[in-house]
Amino acid sequence: MTTKCANKSEDSKKENICMSLPSKPEYVSIVRMTSSVIANKIGFNIEDIEDIKVAVGEACNNAVLHGCDSNIFKVEFIISEEKFIIEIEDEGKGFNVDKYPHPDICNPKESGLGIFIIKSLMDNVEVKSSPGKGTFIRMIKFLNEKDKAYN
Amino acid sequence: MSLNINKAFDSEKNLWEVKLIGEIDISTANSLKEILIKLLEEKEIDIKLDCKELDYIDSTGLGVLIGILKRLKSIDKDIIIINPKPNISKLFKITGLDKIFIIK
Repeated sequence: MTTKCANKSEDSKKENICMSLPSKPEYVSIVRMTSSVIANKIGFNIEDIEDIKVAVGEACNNAVLHGCDSNIFKVEFIISEEKFIIEIEDEGKGFNVDKYPHPDICNPKESGLGIFIIKSLMDNVEVKSSPGKGTFIRMIKFLNEKDKAYN
Repeated sequence: MSLNINKAFDSEKNLWEVKLIGEIDISTANSLKEILIKLLEEKEIDIKLDCKELDYIDSTGLGVLIGILKRLKSIDKDIIIINPKPNISKLFKITGLDKIFIIK
């Protein structure tokens, strides 16, 4: 695992943290924990931190499940005063976003809940994927006014 | 991250009581699956999952529970989830799984 330290981008109010990890299940918790520590530092409330942690975990699961053992996946945390952006990218198998099924509670399946959970928990989610070309997931959580005032 | 699973047979209620302690994610979901399948091979009865000390579950963990529930439902048995923390209840709710699992 490699972690670059915080780089200041052109916008002085934005800071980025990048991680690159092997596509293996045992590394997912590291990204999840990192996301919750950063969300806490930004000033999100406990429920939001929990949402971010779960959404990030699901995106990493997706990268690990669709990647191959030898592959890596990349995570970028973009921190600003009013929002937290997380980008997760893999070079794995990819999938057809349009054919991703909506969960059917009358016929529940053992897999396929991940993207649905991310979309339910985050404020803005973008998924780009195509078979053979990997997957890119960008998710945003906005800091609510109350938490902003508290900070 | 780790998951501890304590299991016991409740002979009075004729069910498996399983205490989940820690986190169920992509790295621990398989061990949960193996343990629950083993219990059902021994006795196909209701499973009560005590989630009082379960801090986290993700879609891979929910997938394991869905698989086991399907097997139990086919013989008219159930999974009963007790004491879930708010973050875990929320996940069951947004996925609609609160309608197919018995949650107390």
